[in-house]
Amino acid sequence: MTYRRPEDDGSGRAKRQKTSSSSDSSSQSKDMSEGGVPVDPSAYLQSSTGWSKLKTTPVNERAKKEEADDVKPNPYLTATKDKPGEAKPNPHLVQKNEPAETRPNPYLAHMKQEPKEPKYNPYLAHMDQQQDDGFGYSNGYGHGLKSGKMNGAPTGSTLATFPRHATTAAMASKAEDGPNNPFNGKPLSDQYFNILKTRRNLPVHAQRDEFLNMYHKTQILVFVGETGSGKTTQIPQFVLFDDLPHIQKKLVACTQPRRVAAMSVAERVANELDVTLGEEVGYSIRFEDVTSQKTVLKYMTDGMLLREAMNDNNLQRYSTIILDEAHERTLATDTLMGLLKEVALRRPDLKIVIMSATLDAQKFQSYFNDAPLLAVPGRTHPVEIFYTAEPERDYVEAALRTVLQIHATEPEGDILLFLTGEEEIEDACRKINLEADEMIREADAGPLKTLPLYGTLPPHQQQKIFEPAPKARKPDGRPGRKCIVATNIAETSLTIDGIVYVVDPGFSKQKVYNPRIRVESLLVSPISKASAQQRAGRAGRTRPGKCFRLYTEAAFKKELIEATYPEILRSNLASTVLDLKKLGIDDLVHFDLMDPPAPETLMRALEELNYLACLDDDGNLTVLGKLASEFPLDPALAVMLISSPEFYCSNEMLSLTALLSVPQIFVRPISQRKRADEMKASFAHPDGDHLTMLNVYHAFKGAEAQLNPKQWCHEHFLSLRALQSADNVRMQLKRIMEREEVELMSTPFEDKSYYTNIRRALVAGFFMQVAKREGNGKTYVTVKDNQNVLLHPSTVLAQESEWVVYNEFVLTTKNYIRTITSVKPEWLMDIAPTYYDISTFAKGTVKTELQRVADKIRRKEAMKGGKR
Amino acid sequence: MPTKTHKPTLSPKPQNDNTEEDLDDYMSMAIAEPVQKTFETSAQRRLRKQREAEARSRPPPAPETSPAEPEPLPPTSKGFKMLSALGYKAGSALGAKGNPNALLQPIGVEIKEDKGGIGHENEKKRKVREEWEKVEGVQKKMKADVGDYRVRVAKEREERRAEGMWWGAMKVLEGLEEGGVEDETRNKEDIEGVDPASMNDREKRPIKTVNLLFRPLIRDRVEKERERRMRYDLQQSLTRNSNYDDPEEDEQDKPAFGNEEEELEENDEEVEEYLTLEPAKRLARVLTELRAEWRYCFWCKHQYEDKQMNGCPGEDEDSHG
Repeated sequence: MTYRRPEDDGSGRAKRQKTSSSSDSSSQSKDMSEGGVPVDPSAYLQSSTGWSKLKTTPVNERAKKEEADDVKPNPYLTATKDKPGEAKPNPHLVQKNEPAETRPNPYLAHMKQEPKEPKYNPYLAHMDQQQDDGFGYSNGYGHGLKSGKMNGAPTGSTLATFPRHATTAAMASKAEDGPNNPFNGKPLSDQYFNILKTRRNLPVHAQRDEFLNMYHKTQILVFVGETGSGKTTQIPQFVLFDDLPHIQKKLVACTQPRRVAAMSVAERVANELDVTLGEEVGYSIRFEDVTSQKTVLKYMTDGMLLREAMNDNNLQRYSTIILDEAHERTLATDTLMGLLKEVALRRPDLKIVIMSATLDAQKFQSYFNDAPLLAVPGRTHPVEIFYTAEPERDYVEAALRTVLQIHATEPEGDILLFLTGEEEIEDACRKINLEADEMIREADAGPLKTLPLYGTLPPHQQQKIFEPAPKARKPDGRPGRKCIVATNIAETSLTIDGIVYVVDPGFSKQKVYNPRIRVESLLVSPISKASAQQRAGRAGRTRPGKCFRLYTEAAFKKELIEATYPEILRSNLASTVLDLKKLGIDDLVHFDLMDPPAPETLMRALEELNYLACLDDDGNLTVLGKLASEFPLDPALAVMLISSPEFYCSNEMLSLTALLSVPQIFVRPISQRKRADEMKASFAHPDGDHLTMLNVYHAFKGAEAQLNPKQWCHEHFLSLRALQSADNVRMQLKRIMEREEVELMSTPFEDKSYYTNIRRALVAGFFMQVAKREGNGKTYVTVKDNQNVLLHPSTVLAQESEWVVYNEFVLTTKNYIRTITSVKPEWLMDIAPTYYDISTFAKGTVKTELQRVADKIRRKEAMKGGKR
Repeated sequence: MPTKTHKPTLSPKPQNDNTEEDLDDYMSMAIAEPVQKTFETSAQRRLRKQREAEARSRPPPAPETSPAEPEPLPPTSKGFKMLSALGYKAGSALGAKGNPNALLQPIGVEIKEDKGGIGHENEKKRKVREEWEKVEGVQKKMKADVGDYRVRVAKEREERRAEGMWWGAMKVLEGLEEGGVEDETRNKEDIEGVDPASMNDREKRPIKTVNLLFRPLIRDRVEKERERRMRYDLQQSLTRNSNYDDPEEDEQDKPAFGNEEEELEENDEEVEEYLTLEPAKRLARVLTELRAEWRYCFWCKHQYEDKQMNGCPGEDEDSHG
């Protein structure tokens, strides 16, 4: 129910990781100065009601320019600009793009060159085709054949003569052999030919003809390739040489569940094709688009494709869509599959390839109306699997023991240990390092380098896992090895060569959602058999390996489920329902999902969106709902942000939303807990944690802190990385607010209602996450769901608060609510009257208390009326 | 609300009076109707107490199982209505028709409480269960649930009563079989004041030949007699301290002390089996024997002349009022 902080579950979705690593500090300080400007309330009154009206206005010119200025120059795009002559501008494009430019397109935002060179906007490529009957995508086949020049391929390129959807592997091979690049006509480099050699050794290459034959015959194809088969890098290229998307000014899209994968694979494939990343091959992840007008192959997150589909329900820009890592069954992948099933009927020309790494391919096949299947064996070595004789009392301890034992006794080869979360991983790394040092001193063991790997780790630290293992200390000494301690991020997408030993305790952090108590949480849970197999497979990438499972064989057979539940069954679907609505899917009940969730989950989502006024009683998207769907946020946060001008504090709520969307900003090292708590206390606001976080942010943006942010954060026990990401997210959200004309304003700080306004604005989004104190005790009970909860010990809330809003429900044996701010019951009834309709409450203290407050309000009103 | 002056004269109120309501009410302006306090007579009071006691003694109805799991969304909830408006039919699944993967119930949430490895929890549970079963075997009868207390007490009382009547019935049967002694009073004397000498010839024959139905009676009597005799012998002999329980005394010693013959009855399987029956069943068997063989009704305390036992209201106790 909350927009969760990107915890370290490792399954980092695009939705969670909305940040890119760089930030533009000059524009941020500008934000801040704007934030302090007092606002004329009369002006506000007009606009606060105005947001509902401005949906159809075109993109705000001012915002567009500012966006362009804000964007850090992208090296790939600059490169494009430097040599515009290379690309042969399509006459149709130039002509048609001008009228199309006035259309609002959210994807324009990041294109730096766009204001200057509107004709190069690739995002509008499909628009002109839509307008131009007869020049359609549906029969582009013959068109490309007629004119080599017209199809965008360089003159003389072998591709110009290729019959679309009728090529063979031999033809493609010839084109690949050069001497010139078939896509940009440049001479191919030596490096290219080196890579080509290795590429042709990949298992998928042997089946290129088989793949092409099947691809020609069918609209939807299921492709199963074990990790190491080369499917992620090669299949899109196979498609590229046959589908010839540039002929039709379309693209081939390949989705990835993870941002990192989309980026790194795109880079790899750009190398393989000997093109510059961002030109023919690019990638698109949230807040970062590295593509250009020339792009024909685009790697992107599944969430990104879904967002594009919201504004282009038929995905007209694409001639082929490849869903990679479909077995991961992310929320976005599942939604996309449902959508593609429908789009395939509307667009017979669209080709779809579903790629999966595991053997549950039949499920995909039957879902896509018995689509044909092609399986390619992976290049893997045998992996010997070991089980423990007895169940382990402490899996972390057992894991550490196993790692050290491997280091002491097994021959050369790196170790991969799977643990559940950031804290556990960092702790394990420390302990392993300590023990290993001792082993080196006392037993003359080889050096051991321990490296953490989890989703929220900064990219440059993630890169460290690819560094080679340490060398032996002496020429004839025992070889060193590295030990990577990772979340399930290393289970599928990230491939680390050199791993020979896998230690699998059998757990991972998984999202769970219970619609009955409306709690979404990340819990440590047993993995599935499929996951365990996947983990074991990581040991056989380079040579025969060993997998140590820290459980018995009987437990493996009896206690592990066959396959992990897809995310859609374990999530709050409020965001998804909003997405589906935006995708033009109205029959939510019969929407053909591969694994339809329990009806109650959908009921809860509809209910929540209705209370948030995003859906009306008939389930139709409201104006507010449409606006909320523009924000890459949980609906509650989006609604809070959109309604914040009503409370004269949208600048502050913008900061707060950003802070709630990044990992924990407070750092609390075990060794310096007391000092860290003291530092936190210096920012504390007695009314709650949200206000405290805001104080931190304001201090961080202050002159003193900005002199040396790193030092300042270190001294104040704050996470520089989290604060910088918050800054970045704030900037992105601010752009959306400006585009959607949500007014930015602040209550003057001197005004005594400064904090009150913020607390009231908080209620506007989080009125469904409220708890009331029981009696005079420490326990609270959540409103309507009646769950007994305790305030998380980290709270700064000093006063005895009867009513609190919370950001997060922490599901453990003791239930905690975290990030809490005190509110008044009067506000609840005032701001969310439908939800706090007393007649809808079950008997209990909450109802009694609300009734009392309502009576009090009524008496007051009556007295006022009497005086008059 | 009763006025204060009334209070001291009131009989103690029933326990279930909700004092909370009284407390809540003290501010209300409503004037309560004067409550008619009935002054009960001692007879009424006794009757009431008796009724209350009866009510208390009655085992409470089985408690309903409390819902530990959160309940599903009711059809009255907003979400249910909204989904129904979109064409959802209660009880059906979402998605395409006939999708076997569709869920009807949300996936349960299980919270891991410790760092135990896969299978550790179940291993622990299994061990605990085994341990528990061992302990349970011993304590089962002692450690009955508190809620079962009344049920158990009531049952035990029933058993004790049936046991008492069984002894009585056995004596009647014995009397009838062993020489037409009819009345119970004679039987009582049998135990207390029987002349040991006259008893002896009866006891001489092996107990196993006695009718099984009242064999326990005879056995009991023999044991008592033996005890009495031993006590008497001890007092006479002075050679051996009765309180002295020599752990080293074994089977061989027994004949030396003159208690060799008892071995025989100790393993009278027939009787053992008979005794394992519930007292009520044992009683029923004896009573059937009395009726069938001796035309004697235990409840009427009368031996009828005719086989039909004309005049006896019925076979069971209830029909005798």
